[in-house]
Amino acid sequence: MLIFAWLRGLVRRRPGRLLATSAGVAIAVGLLASIGTFLSSSKAVMTQRASSSVPVDWQVETQPGADPGSVLQTVRTFPGISNATPVEFARTPGFTLTTGDTTQTTGAGVVLGIASDYAVRFPGVLRTLAGSRTGVVLAQQTAANLRATVGDTVTIARAGLPDASVRIDGIVDLPTADSLFQKVGAPSSAQLQAPPDNVLLLPDTVWHRLFDELSRSRPDLVTTQVHAAVTRALPADPSAAFGSVAAQGRNLELKLAGTGLVGNNLGAELDKARSDSLYAQILFLFLGIPGAVLAGVLTSTVAASGADRRRRDQALLRARGATLRQLVRLGLAEAVIVTVVGSAVGIGLAAIIGARTFGSATFGTRAATAVWWAAASVAAGLLVAVLAIARPAWRDARQLTVTAARRTVGRDHDPRWMRWCADLILLAGAAVVFWFTGRGGYKLVLAVEGVPTISVNYWAFLGPALAWLGGGLLFYRLAVTTLRVGRRPLGSVLRPFTSALSSTIAASMSRQRSLLGRGLTLVALSVVFAGSTSVFNSTYQVQAEVDAVLSNGAMVSVVESPGHDVHPSFADQLDHIPGVKSVTWVQHRYAYVGSDLQDLYGVDPATIVKATKLRDSYFQGGTASQLMARLAAQPDAALVSLETVKDFQLTPGDTLKLRLQDGNTKQFRPVTFTYAGVVSEFPSAPSDSFIVANAAYVAQATGSDTVGSFLIDTAHNDSSAVTRRVERVVGTTATVNDVASKRRKIGTSLTSVELSGLTRVELGFALVLAAAASGLVLWLGLAERKRTFAIAAALGATPRQLSGFIWSESVFVTAGGLIIGVFSGWVLTQMLVKVLTGVFDPPPSGLSIPWGYLALVGGIVLAGVLTAVALITRAARRPTTEMLRDL
Amino acid sequence: MNVAPIPGVPVVDAVDLRREYGTGSACVVALADATCRIFSGQQIALMGPSGSGKSTLVHLLAGIDTPTSGTVTWPALANEPHLRPGPIGVVFQAPSLLPPLTVVENVALPLLLGGASGAEGTAAAREALALLELDTLADKLPEELSGGQAQRVAIARVLAGNPKLILADEPTGQLDHETATRVIDVLIAATDASGAALLINTHDPVIAARFSVHWSMHDGALITTSEQATTRC
Repeated sequence: MLIFAWLRGLVRRRPGRLLATSAGVAIAVGLLASIGTFLSSSKAVMTQRASSSVPVDWQVETQPGADPGSVLQTVRTFPGISNATPVEFARTPGFTLTTGDTTQTTGAGVVLGIASDYAVRFPGVLRTLAGSRTGVVLAQQTAANLRATVGDTVTIARAGLPDASVRIDGIVDLPTADSLFQKVGAPSSAQLQAPPDNVLLLPDTVWHRLFDELSRSRPDLVTTQVHAAVTRALPADPSAAFGSVAAQGRNLELKLAGTGLVGNNLGAELDKARSDSLYAQILFLFLGIPGAVLAGVLTSTVAASGADRRRRDQALLRARGATLRQLVRLGLAEAVIVTVVGSAVGIGLAAIIGARTFGSATFGTRAATAVWWAAASVAAGLLVAVLAIARPAWRDARQLTVTAARRTVGRDHDPRWMRWCADLILLAGAAVVFWFTGRGGYKLVLAVEGVPTISVNYWAFLGPALAWLGGGLLFYRLAVTTLRVGRRPLGSVLRPFTSALSSTIAASMSRQRSLLGRGLTLVALSVVFAGSTSVFNSTYQVQAEVDAVLSNGAMVSVVESPGHDVHPSFADQLDHIPGVKSVTWVQHRYAYVGSDLQDLYGVDPATIVKATKLRDSYFQGGTASQLMARLAAQPDAALVSLETVKDFQLTPGDTLKLRLQDGNTKQFRPVTFTYAGVVSEFPSAPSDSFIVANAAYVAQATGSDTVGSFLIDTAHNDSSAVTRRVERVVGTTATVNDVASKRRKIGTSLTSVELSGLTRVELGFALVLAAAASGLVLWLGLAERKRTFAIAAALGATPRQLSGFIWSESVFVTAGGLIIGVFSGWVLTQMLVKVLTGVFDPPPSGLSIPWGYLALVGGIVLAGVLTAVALITRAARRPTTEMLRDL
Repeated sequence: MNVAPIPGVPVVDAVDLRREYGTGSACVVALADATCRIFSGQQIALMGPSGSGKSTLVHLLAGIDTPTSGTVTWPALANEPHLRPGPIGVVFQAPSLLPPLTVVENVALPLLLGGASGAEGTAAAREALALLELDTLADKLPEELSGGQAQRVAIARVLAGNPKLILADEPTGQLDHETATRVIDVLIAATDASGAALLINTHDPVIAARFSVHWSMHDGALITTSEQATTRC
């Protein structure tokens, strides 16, 4: 009964306090529910994206001596198999095509035998470039090598058997050649470096006619695989999906009893995706948790701003005989009502965000998952409310006398943590953990060799977590120490604005340093949160774009088929295509550095800087433009990897003797270069060691200026449209890649975690937190002292003098919070970017500052403060009748 | 601002003062057409039950509230309409010291609000505290004082401004009898010394008995035997 009477009284008499505390809980619940559901949704999308990118889930290879028919039967009857068909592989010494007077012969190749409906059963394996996709089809690169077109007759060499001829019905691209020609069952280190250059696909009937005899005479040259698709009822989490698919594959191998090995392509893709999902989890922890904790601190501060009144209420109840248990129950009842209201608003807010941002209130994930996150968020909200309301009530009731509870200011003693320097210890701990994490290369996702599971290195979180905690406490220490020690200087600062009242205002502020310190800390933390989140997100987005351009080479790249001679002059044709801003060409060769075969890229230093973005972070020993100028000025200059520099103890100016393939004789011959700098990343280059040199020098030294790829900058034009135009010009002799498709393709790489959704949610909440931390907390803090201002007004304070009191506190809290917040935000962002190096590929050379958003945060903080101050000043100028009657 | 009272001229002159709260059917008449005058040196006890409009009248006479109708002027105080150190001092019923300021800072505050320098304000405040034998409490915070001490400090705050009119709104309402007697002693002694007018609002007949002029209020109507105060309902 007492509880209901108390709650009724609160609703009637203290609606502002209940609503403000509920608002804090709503922010915490809304943020957690949004980000948590978004995380689950992201994981499900990763699983879906990974599985949909695999055209052949399993490649089951029949082992020597086993019966292919039996293997096919076992696979077809295995639970969960939706589709299974045999694919034959036969190795050939080469293909020959005679056109007119010339005869082209390729090196060794592979002839596949596939069912007539293979392309329909496994869409994505073949991409038709010319003619038909059924019948006899030639891989694009082979067609380029043979200069073959549809209708030509190609001769297939067969080991120990007469050659056979077939008529070409079509030319196709094999986008998944790497997995198609994998060594089934071999570890990744033992896989082929590249798929075969020459591939011909035959209908299975034709293949059997041509190669059945070979399978009897040379079974070592022939293999049979079963290509299978599994039903895609996968768990939403990539880790769980991987575990399920891997176990299924092992189970099939067990059933095959040594007659077949499973190449688990689906498992391999999910394996990559689970690493991404862990990074998503990491980002959730790094970027989401601080926001939720901040919302919790905000709620506590909002609740604390009414603590004095609550203590006085409690003191009255105690004076009238209320027991400790009753007081705690009242506190809990208030916490529950605040949780119910706050959670309802928070969950509603999350649903609206989901619907507006992701088109679904459940953020695109299953309803059960969304409900789970909602329940978890409400539990967190309840915890926040209990800590903010019920715990202080319990503590006050246990520790304070009735008289002490009526006190509103008190002679502050430093809290224990300040005397123990807990803030400084925490920050020192953060620095030590950060340093140790740095020594380990900031590895957040651990994949231990030989262990199938991967895990998150949660120790790395300790650094930023300690920094947040230590920083928050340090902000408070700075604020209260300034107010305690700097009372006199503060009075001097205030004198021009508040005249003779300056010392009194400074004294008043000094004695309320706990209250003002909490306000300043909250403003600073909300600025740190908004600043670090937005700068990190902005840097991440920029790097994701850099990664896409780096992987693709440029906005559009034209990769020529090996053996297809294209010369730099072709760049002129590309240059005239509408939408093309500039074009450069890159030679791709192989060079022996000692016994190590490395990729060598010959570039035109003058044009490459125009056609693609070279970042300074790709190089050491000079900026990008300096090193390109060096390549231009000194044609034999070469940029090599850091590993090569260490292996060969190179110093700038050293002579480097490499062996490059001669364009005419195809023999490797020594070419002398001069070591000029280090390159770690380069457009379209692999992630391991490679060399960058001057194209003109390479052409002169090898007698060939054959181009490996053309890089095209489309400026702000639609790169996809330009790509289509370029494809029409280059025909089937080259592959044209668009940065937009690359962006989608790196959906399973480390930088793939789609941050834009998280960004919108986070930045939105950061704004709300900034507004609440400044305006709401300030307003509540001042509103609780309306009686004080009413007394001052009744004593004759003019509106200007009252404003002096209010503005002095507000400016201290806001300006102090902003200054400390901006500085600390910059430090924390640097730390975040360092610790999260793993999610950046390549690492950023600097932070990307979203000035517009930061200006918005500043504006919202100021607007919040101005509104709060205006409302309080207006109310204080003319005390209400109720206030006067209370005096 | 110190204003010398003009002999024969009322310190405060209220005519047909009316104060209503709310509108329409929720309208409450707290004070109905009260007319009164207070001259320098007068010591008046205003009596009446709770809710009769005593505090409302005090607030209107002090200039911290505005009447719904009627006029209030301060002819002897050069019509200084609002509270300023010097002309009018108000002692409130509830604790009215500012919690974050010490006793001496609280006492000096009205002087500083009136334009005195920090040093002048502090000196006057210490003098007023010494007068009431409160100088040992100068550096205490309000929450460290007893109810009686806090109320005496509030009186010291009024006296520090050397007012010509002191309005005390049930200053002993929350005090025990002994403390209440001391507070009234202090107020009477201070006004005797300065010649200021004193209106004290109380429902304690023992306290009222110490005053020569008695006014009373019932349901918003001011009733008095004195010629200087009348009411027309």
